[in-house]
Amino acid sequence: MDILTQLKQQAEQVEVLSLQNEKTTVEYEANQLKTCTVAETKGTAVRVIRKGRLGFAASTDDTAMDKLAANTLESATYGDNASFSFPDPKPAPIVRTYDKAVADLPIARLVEIGREMLDLILPVEPNARCNISLERSLISASIRNQKGLDVSFKTSPLSLGLEIDRIEGDDVLILYDQLGTTVWERDYLDFARRLVEKLKKASTITSIKPGKMPVLFAPTGTLALGLPLSQGLNGKQVYKGSSPMAGKIGEKLFDEKVTIIDDGTIDGKFASASYDDEGIPHRRNILIEKGVLKSFIYDLKTASQSEVESTGNAARGLFSPPEPSFTNLVIQAGETPLKNILAGIDEGILVEDLLGIGQGNIISGAFSNPLALAFKIEKGEIVGRVKDLSIAGNIYELLKNVGAVSKEAQWVYSTFYAPYILIPEMNVAGKA
Amino acid sequence: MRDKIQEALKRSKADYTEIRIEEKETTRVIFRGKELEVANANIDKGGIVRCLIKDKGWGVTTFNNLDDLLNKTDQAYQCAQVGSVPEPIELASVEPVVKITAVEMKRDFRDIPLSEKKALAERYNQVLLGHSDKIIDTQAAYVDSFTHLILANSEGTYIEQDKPALVISASATARDGDNVQQAHESLANTQGFEYVLDKDELARKAAQKAVELLEARPVKAGQYPVVVDQMLAGVFIHEAFGHLSEADFVYENPKAREMMTMGRRFGKGILNAYDDGSIPNLRGTTLYDDEGTPARRNWLIRDGELVGRLHSRQTAAKMGEKASGNARAINYRFAPIVRMTNTAIDNGTTSFEDMIKDIELGIYACDAYGGQTQLENFSFSSGYGYMIRNGKIAEMVKDVILAGNLFATLENIDAIGNDFKWLNTGGGCGKGNQAPLPVGMGAPHIRIQNVVIGGE
Repeated sequence: MDILTQLKQQAEQVEVLSLQNEKTTVEYEANQLKTCTVAETKGTAVRVIRKGRLGFAASTDDTAMDKLAANTLESATYGDNASFSFPDPKPAPIVRTYDKAVADLPIARLVEIGREMLDLILPVEPNARCNISLERSLISASIRNQKGLDVSFKTSPLSLGLEIDRIEGDDVLILYDQLGTTVWERDYLDFARRLVEKLKKASTITSIKPGKMPVLFAPTGTLALGLPLSQGLNGKQVYKGSSPMAGKIGEKLFDEKVTIIDDGTIDGKFASASYDDEGIPHRRNILIEKGVLKSFIYDLKTASQSEVESTGNAARGLFSPPEPSFTNLVIQAGETPLKNILAGIDEGILVEDLLGIGQGNIISGAFSNPLALAFKIEKGEIVGRVKDLSIAGNIYELLKNVGAVSKEAQWVYSTFYAPYILIPEMNVAGKA
Repeated sequence: MRDKIQEALKRSKADYTEIRIEEKETTRVIFRGKELEVANANIDKGGIVRCLIKDKGWGVTTFNNLDDLLNKTDQAYQCAQVGSVPEPIELASVEPVVKITAVEMKRDFRDIPLSEKKALAERYNQVLLGHSDKIIDTQAAYVDSFTHLILANSEGTYIEQDKPALVISASATARDGDNVQQAHESLANTQGFEYVLDKDELARKAAQKAVELLEARPVKAGQYPVVVDQMLAGVFIHEAFGHLSEADFVYENPKAREMMTMGRRFGKGILNAYDDGSIPNLRGTTLYDDEGTPARRNWLIRDGELVGRLHSRQTAAKMGEKASGNARAINYRFAPIVRMTNTAIDNGTTSFEDMIKDIELGIYACDAYGGQTQLENFSFSSGYGYMIRNGKIAEMVKDVILAGNLFATLENIDAIGNDFKWLNTGGGCGKGNQAPLPVGMGAPHIRIQNVVIGGE
């Protein structure tokens, strides 16, 4: 018997997620094509609400469905009181997440794309060591519940990851970025070209006197600001009271140049889909608008705890229950052309990459990281790479006074869209 | 299953074929705040086939359907055909092993009802919540997993082993206005349910630390002599040095190889470090690695000099060294890569009192929040710290983040404590896409001169 039908007889509410994923990965290690992998995953995750209590279990053993059903019910015996209901079917926006051109990409083409990347990098930097991962998946998922919700989606994620290591003497430079998309992207090497540009710029090394100075975060560097912010905007942290933004909806917390949006409805983007992982339609959630806190993100459970509606932000792996999670996180581009921002800096640094982003007590907004790649800006010009520096601050202070947000913005790390952000004054530490 | 596996290995056209089948049941109870977040059991069963064609490359298939091993082996062989390595890939020789072992636990956690595991996590959560009204969020977790693992290869190895693991952890978040602080404690064990009972003290410690941190001032950035506790020293040797000892970082890279030349000075003569997967009942213990190589003690630094590194069969062959028992995979979805097992700084001779007594102004950095390395550059967050003033431990400080260059930092270790301990924490290590892999760490207190501490 179908597990939904079976469990409907034993519990008030039932939800069944079926997941099938076929992923092909081609990996270059140190410029050499070494491994090709085909990974198939097939599994079922079930949630029930029985006598008001929530149970969850998952399995990849399709010969053990009875055990899965029993595990789910046992889980509900000790489960938490569930104050929410699995959703009714609702119409969702049409979001493009499947492209036959991606789904049908032959292994040979993935191999060729890797080769194209190497051809971009090695002529410029023969000493570079590139690790490239080219990954094409075909995911079919369906979510069904006792209310008749039955959504299924097919996505074709393509992810091209590129890490470039350059070691010269005791100097180590490691650059990483990735392109993530669900539809074929014509300029799929654009992100790799940007890395090559950084690599070229990094060959001039200069120095700067540590101290207070303007710090310009490049799109990759803004992750240091975006990550603590995204934790604070997570409805779960808000409900638990650990977000410094809890209870401050409607307040102006940041500079008016700061607008942040979570958007799972953008065609072809890596975290896009018509529905979230509980079958709630995705939508565009404006979280911070011109510095004013507008909303947090929620899944069903945290929404009901907070007495609001789910924002369509449930995400889950097969073996874990849903959690509120960002889809595509967009820091909105500003008004100022990058060259004008640079022109206004007499002496400061441009931060491309930081070490250890996300570690430490980031929910508080505090961060402190060594700079993995940073450049000195002198009289409006980028004059060379600076090493052995670190920055520290608290985003809840820093983002109150933003010098400028650039007109130019980029997708970085697949799901993050960000401009250049100027903080007029920060402490830059280093060996004096 | 054994017959099916051996049939598939026999029929494989590859130069080397390896099959790993894993059956894992995990029970998880997590309380967060006042609520039970999860109490459940998951079943994960699957397999991986790895084929090597020496003059081409590796082909891998992973799958949940175990009925089709012949087909999956053939598909892996087809994948291997895609590769194009310039030189043939060789594997260091390892004596084939045939061994079937079953683990015996004192109180087997698989026989404990979910209700009892839930009650245990709930009790630790109550300790966290009850500690202070400043505690606004908690997490108390109980996680056990039992893995039955079969590893076989075309050279005749056939190993069946059980891997039990138990972890309890307690995290507390304390808040005072906009000031939010967190602290975390955990304990891991491989021997049985009774070892995670009566650990109220662990939860109390997490809660107490979070509340104390509310009063702590951020550390002032600068260069200090730093005394590092066992926990942070363990994380340091794992993160900053251990990862460089993983041969896959250097085996293809002449420059990195130069950096990690055997005999290079890595510190003063007092410094000794090793990795050892053969010590019973530690978190990273792995008697046979995921290529079937037996575990052993691998000295990495002896008397301040680099003397060894960690290998898979492939990296060992490439560098003309011996397989070290460090090829590990987090589960059947991944091929093994070079990983640490239990990594340690060996015991020294200095007492803690002697270590701090001459420090006029310094920092005692405790516990680890996490760390990251980029080859020789590292950054670590300590959980909390204290100023050392005039040879005495003084006020607590927070946001203590150590950053620097590995070589300079190791060279600056000028005292090693006589208080070695293994840290039985529940943490795991991440590398590539493979996280968390259970690893063990151990160290005594160490003192490092001239450490750059970030901060405001």
